[in-house]
Amino acid sequence: MSAATPLAAARRARETLRWEARRRWARAGIVYVLMLLFSLVFLGPLLFATLSSLKTDPLEYPPRIAVPQLSPANWATAARLGRAGARAPLWGGFAPGADVAFQLTYFAPDGTEPAPPSVTVPKRRPGGGLGAVQAIEYAADHASVSPAEEVERRTGSWTVRGGSVAGTFVTYAVRVRYQGEGPKLERLPLDAVAPSRAQVFVRSTLPPTRLERLGLVASYNDVAPGALGYVFTNYRRVFAEARSVTTGRSLFLSWTANSFLIALAKVLTTLLLASMAGYALARLRFPGRALIFLLILFAQMIPGQVIFISNYLVLRDGIFGLASLWGQTTLLNSLAGVVLSGMVGAGAVFIMKQFFESIPREVEEAAMIDGTNQWQRFSRVVLPMARPALGALTILTFQGAWNDFFWPLVVLTTPEDIKTLPIGLLTFRNAYGTTGDWGLILAGAVMSAVPVIVLFVVFQRYFLEGVSYGGGKG
Amino acid sequence: MNVRRREVIAAYLFLAPFLVTLAIFFVYATARAVYFSFTDYDLFNAPTWIGLRNYANLFRDDLFLTALRNSLVFAAVVTSVQTFGALVMASVLNQRVRGLNFFRAAFYMPSITSSVVITLIFLWMYQRRGLFNYLLTQLLANLPLIGMFVLVLAAAQVVQVLLERARGLSVRWSDPALLVVSLVVATTGTTALVLLGLVAPRTVAPVDFVWLQTRQEVPGAFPGFLRAPVPLIAIMLQNIFTTVPTFMLMFLAALQGVPSSYYEAASLDGATPVQQFFYITIPAVQPVTFLVVTLGLIGTLQMFDQVAIFGNAVPLRSVITLAYFIYNRMFPGAQLPEVGFASAAAMFLALLTLVIVLLQRLFIRSEGNL
Repeated sequence: MSAATPLAAARRARETLRWEARRRWARAGIVYVLMLLFSLVFLGPLLFATLSSLKTDPLEYPPRIAVPQLSPANWATAARLGRAGARAPLWGGFAPGADVAFQLTYFAPDGTEPAPPSVTVPKRRPGGGLGAVQAIEYAADHASVSPAEEVERRTGSWTVRGGSVAGTFVTYAVRVRYQGEGPKLERLPLDAVAPSRAQVFVRSTLPPTRLERLGLVASYNDVAPGALGYVFTNYRRVFAEARSVTTGRSLFLSWTANSFLIALAKVLTTLLLASMAGYALARLRFPGRALIFLLILFAQMIPGQVIFISNYLVLRDGIFGLASLWGQTTLLNSLAGVVLSGMVGAGAVFIMKQFFESIPREVEEAAMIDGTNQWQRFSRVVLPMARPALGALTILTFQGAWNDFFWPLVVLTTPEDIKTLPIGLLTFRNAYGTTGDWGLILAGAVMSAVPVIVLFVVFQRYFLEGVSYGGGKG
Repeated sequence: MNVRRREVIAAYLFLAPFLVTLAIFFVYATARAVYFSFTDYDLFNAPTWIGLRNYANLFRDDLFLTALRNSLVFAAVVTSVQTFGALVMASVLNQRVRGLNFFRAAFYMPSITSSVVITLIFLWMYQRRGLFNYLLTQLLANLPLIGMFVLVLAAAQVVQVLLERARGLSVRWSDPALLVVSLVVATTGTTALVLLGLVAPRTVAPVDFVWLQTRQEVPGAFPGFLRAPVPLIAIMLQNIFTTVPTFMLMFLAALQGVPSSYYEAASLDGATPVQQFFYITIPAVQPVTFLVVTLGLIGTLQMFDQVAIFGNAVPLRSVITLAYFIYNRMFPGAQLPEVGFASAAAMFLALLTLVIVLLQRLFIRSEGNL
């Protein structure tokens, strides 16, 4: 009895320990599953939009995950067709000397005689919106389509309206040739009309862009796309279709360049001016310090909607006429205007001040004995130590400038070339969204998000530090 | 003495570029907005002083009142839902696990991406044949399966807990080890029932809910100033989606600083997880709650981007906010700008933000002291 009790107690304790360990494991497992679920939810829209930006019609219903553009077999076919169309396996096209072979398979149920489809190269605009106003060359004016030839016939069964039906599969081949000399065209559209509703479209060399009129017409936006041209149709359209009316340059390229210029300029001015101001506020003694600090807090609290009214007028008049020094009467619709008004933000100064206060004074005092002046002490001793804070500030400033919407919307209105990416995307949305042409909008949106995402993934550490210094901008 | 003076000169030289920017683009700008708000000004004729008339007119302007209602409803709903949601998510995830950095990146993604990109994506998903209506359709079609899963899950958990208690072990209804077993049972059970053909998804007509082009307000039974137009709710959902993960990470960081011994002690005293949430978690993260609510209020009261991007896809009245109202009066398109009126509305927005932030500060402080 006296021996059994401790034994039982020990067994009991062992069991409890094992039980506790099991619970810990289970809890960790559940937390991982939940985290995975949450991140799927929060990444979901972005990922699904990226996937759908490859589709010809991102509004297809029901939305599919298996996109034909992601099938390697289609890539190979698209590359072969691109080579046949313009000796360009990557980006395709339709150039003199082209001889594009294309096959379509139909199913004719027993009792109907299979007949070849009528295949034409239609005159079709690449899309609605901005692209529709530009003069383009039509492939239809240069193409000749050979009559459809039967190449294969075999019997089998196919599902028609939910039921299995016996009949014949017939494959037809057509060749599209470029007649004579002429310009290289970017795409080669094709329409194949079945002889009757009874004859059902089954498959073709590349899947059709859409089936029209209850499956009677198989319609292709481009049958010589090339591998990249096939997968990134919408991305190519983003660059190619929206062009400036005056210069003919790609709008999206201009917007990207503008966004980069503004963001880089703002990062440089902010790094320099905010660290100078932050250093003075943290280290130097001078009258008016408390007032300046109050102003910094005040400036961070003022909504953009209060200050934009006066700032708009100040830029309109070229900053009290100072802009005439370099020959500009107004700074509206100029990148300089956006940069000058946002050279250095109060928040950035605040971050740098906080950081410099955390550096021990002794470091500088050692340099002081060497007889260096204030600027040398700042630029050679203190600034090199501020690398983590400067890193955080770079990320935050770049992200803020890149994503900024309200202020560029006020300042940059005409011409289209002068806009930045976010307000350019609004132009896209107004031009294409109303016609339901979402492929191009999504492709533009996804591309404009890439720089910040790359920056974030690479410099995540700095980004998190920035949040902890400044409390984030919300 | 000489050294002191040189220090002062150096300080102002270091500060000069910043001070010039601050003076022109903040101090002068704010002062001018205050001045304009008392004048009648259309950019072309010189401003004329009209006293408080702009402010009085604000409250006679139908569109302004709509914008005010929308802004207040938007700020209240979004701030409270996202704060509470973020806190609940953080306390569910409050575990020391490896690989948090990967998840952190995923959680930050919506808030580092520009509001334009996120809004465009959501606008696309809100189309009548968009992803949201598709997911709703799927949810309705699969209700029998989901119901069956929940039923089996609950039954398995109850049976297990009762068995363990019969063995004399004190286990909670939410015991994680048993929950894992129950989840496995529920998954295999539901799959088996589907394979046997006892449970099947229903066939439902595709949901065709109009998110955008509608004047509908919900909940219909509420008085006008408590209702929210459907398109505004669409923007609310989007805003919550973007900010919840960031705030969740802020709460999570605060929670990881709470000693786990607090929870263990409470657990020994028999406190349920819900009690632990209200009596340990909420007081422990109070400073972060303050920050999250402040940031949330400022961000939501000044919401502009989403309204501008939704644009003509929605009726203007259903989504207009104070920030957009101001912009709209400053750049009204074909009409003359009403700079004075816009300035008055802007001053109102600034004061409103200040007052609400101060009020919540009082409120959260007193909560914390209790």
